[in-house]
Amino acid sequence: MTTTPDASASVALRLRGLTKRFGETLAVDRLDLDIPTGTMFGVVGPNGAGKTTTLSMATGLLAPDAGLVEVYGVDLWREPARAKPLLGVLPDGLRVFDRLTGAELISYAGLLRGLPADVVAQRRDDLLAALDLAGAARTLVADFSAGMTKKITLACALVHAPRLLVLDEPFEAVDPVSAGVIRRILAQFVAQGGTVVLSSHVMALVERMCDHVAVIGAGRVLATGSLDEVRAGADLEERFFDLLGARGPEAGLAWLRPS
Amino acid sequence: MVATVLRLKLRLLANTMQREVWRVILVVLGALWALSMVPGVVGGARWLAFQPLEVRSSALVVVGTVLLVGWTVIPVLMFGADETVTPRKFAVLGPDPRRLAPALAVAAMLSVPALFTGFVCLASMLAWREEGGPTTAFALASGAAAFATCVLASRVVTAFATRLLSTRRARELAGVLGGLVALCAVPVGVSLGSLGLEGALERLPGLTTALSFTPFGAAWAAPAAAAAGEWAGAFGHLLLAWGFVGAGMLVWVAQVDRLMVDPPSTVGAARRRADAFVGEVGAPGPTTTARLARAVARRALRYWLGDPRYLASLASTLLMPLLIAVLLAVVGLSSVSGAVLVAPLVAGAVGWGRHNDTAFDGTAFWLHVSAGVPGVADRAGRVLALSAWAVPGVVAIAVGGAWLAGRWDMLGASLGLALGLYGAGLGVAMVSSVLLPYPAPRAGDSPFATETGSVGASLVAQLVATLATAVLAAPVVVLFWLTAEGRASLGGVVLAVGALGGVLVLAAGVVLGGRLLDARGAQLLARLT
Repeated sequence: MTTTPDASASVALRLRGLTKRFGETLAVDRLDLDIPTGTMFGVVGPNGAGKTTTLSMATGLLAPDAGLVEVYGVDLWREPARAKPLLGVLPDGLRVFDRLTGAELISYAGLLRGLPADVVAQRRDDLLAALDLAGAARTLVADFSAGMTKKITLACALVHAPRLLVLDEPFEAVDPVSAGVIRRILAQFVAQGGTVVLSSHVMALVERMCDHVAVIGAGRVLATGSLDEVRAGADLEERFFDLLGARGPEAGLAWLRPS
Repeated sequence: MVATVLRLKLRLLANTMQREVWRVILVVLGALWALSMVPGVVGGARWLAFQPLEVRSSALVVVGTVLLVGWTVIPVLMFGADETVTPRKFAVLGPDPRRLAPALAVAAMLSVPALFTGFVCLASMLAWREEGGPTTAFALASGAAAFATCVLASRVVTAFATRLLSTRRARELAGVLGGLVALCAVPVGVSLGSLGLEGALERLPGLTTALSFTPFGAAWAAPAAAAAGEWAGAFGHLLLAWGFVGAGMLVWVAQVDRLMVDPPSTVGAARRRADAFVGEVGAPGPTTTARLARAVARRALRYWLGDPRYLASLASTLLMPLLIAVLLAVVGLSSVSGAVLVAPLVAGAVGWGRHNDTAFDGTAFWLHVSAGVPGVADRAGRVLALSAWAVPGVVAIAVGGAWLAGRWDMLGASLGLALGLYGAGLGVAMVSSVLLPYPAPRAGDSPFATETGSVGASLVAQLVATLATAVLAAPVVVLFWLTAEGRASLGGVVLAVGALGGVLVLAAGVVLGGRLLDARGAQLLARLT
């Protein structure tokens, strides 16, 4: 049985009972999460909380041990050919084909998505201009800085005009000017009905950009909902510390002072 | 410093061995092999002691030359033979290269092949034992020099090759060198084969005299001169030998110094160029799959021309069969078969050589997974890119081989066997690179680096790919053998069976590999590094 993606679905991304174990470590533990359509959704959590593992499983890059991923009502792991065209992905910690130039990498991503050549060429130029990468279009991605690589990978995620963007740490190593550009592009995308899921370590950024958040710790969702629901009258960062159990001042490094 | 680096290397070895049983088995097997050779080496040295002076001298210079050639060539052909402690890893500690470089060289002596080489160098003393104390002393001092030369040469050559392959001109240089070796090796092998072993040995004295003034033979000539009572010559050769060691150490120190602060750039192609993806590749194709395959092929070709890792594997797949063919010719298999066999050997090595193809993408492969590229398009694109240069190359080598051997009647058979082996090897590779990936050097790493902890996986994958290729190519191999045994009329049959069978096996490999990729793309991605 095949499902047609439901554009009017109120939930863009539905995760149910997602589980992933790496050897002894339970990285993601029966995680449930709904991402409402048309939201800018922030996923926050400490190092090792399972953010990247969760987002990888939600985008078809990592097979879950158990659980369900639905993209606009389509089961991603059972019908990848229908679900994947709806998704634009920016993974964290994975390499890109960096022996291509910036322009070639975007074109390659577009062609792999099955777009016709003329459309690819047009969108490639638009994306290069919008992300201020036109000057680097003819340079190998291997020679890019970390921030530029992030931007070119984001362009690859956008080139086929997906309905749902899943971005893992999209602002890491990106300079403030570029971050502003990316924020505006994403806001416009959401305003036109798209949905964005992004993860970040930076609370202030999530608080400023996102209308919905989820706090993840130890492979589970600790709190989720609209930004105001989650922070419950406090600062997002304070709530984050509350949920995770904040630690006191670092002890034991008394010797660490300029000698 | 020497003690610290040695301890570090031992600790690293112990840690990898704890993680991987395969490496222990390899080391034990290597040690057993080396031990089994000990009686032969000792016996050979003793036998030499009873030979005339000239024979002893020539034989030892040849032994020394073979050792040093081995130490300079094998590390380049065998990727990552030993890269546990590299200069780059010490950079952050800011050591003095003049102290670090000797320590690294000493650490490099700590491996089974190095220890065995050291034993051979010292065992040569036995050949001079009867000549009295001074000569034996010369043998000891020069044996040590020969051993140091071997180890230093392998360090210097590896560092040089890494840098060479990473420069902009890597492609041209690799191509030119490969072509030169091909041009030289085959005629040399054929002429050696036609001279026969005795004929070759007769010409040795002149050659060994020349070699005794180079790093290859200087150390080995010193005790011979001492035994003949030419003390000036003995001192001269010994000084020369240690001079080469000193010079090698100076070069190695300079290389370590540079490697620490200026690691080889890892981009081999022109760094700026226009996007040719859309114009040529994006033209409407007959099917979506064909269009996607063309895009994948274009990307793969970019890597073939611009990535040192691909250039290195290209160079070694071309060199290995050539060396084998030359060896076959030298050993006395008729020189004709040597030349005719080069094309099949190269073709088989090139096709089989892609048995870990997906791992060369590394985690960048996520782009294919996330776009949901059909597995068949992914596989077909890789085959197209390789075949674009490999098939014309193999045909050219087959024609050249037939011409060199003067056996145009064998051209069809040689070509048939080549295409059959290429199709079988590559067809198997398209499946095994989905099912049995093992860690490959990452884009940007030295092409000579190897991922620690990958020996077991790589052995299994290589063994499986070899067996499967052998089984699938068996019919065409048998037919070729019948043809070579005298039924030249079968040449056309070999060509037909090889070409058709090769295409069929390759197509089956693409389809089967593609289906497997569709089913387990994410699992494959998780196993790439």
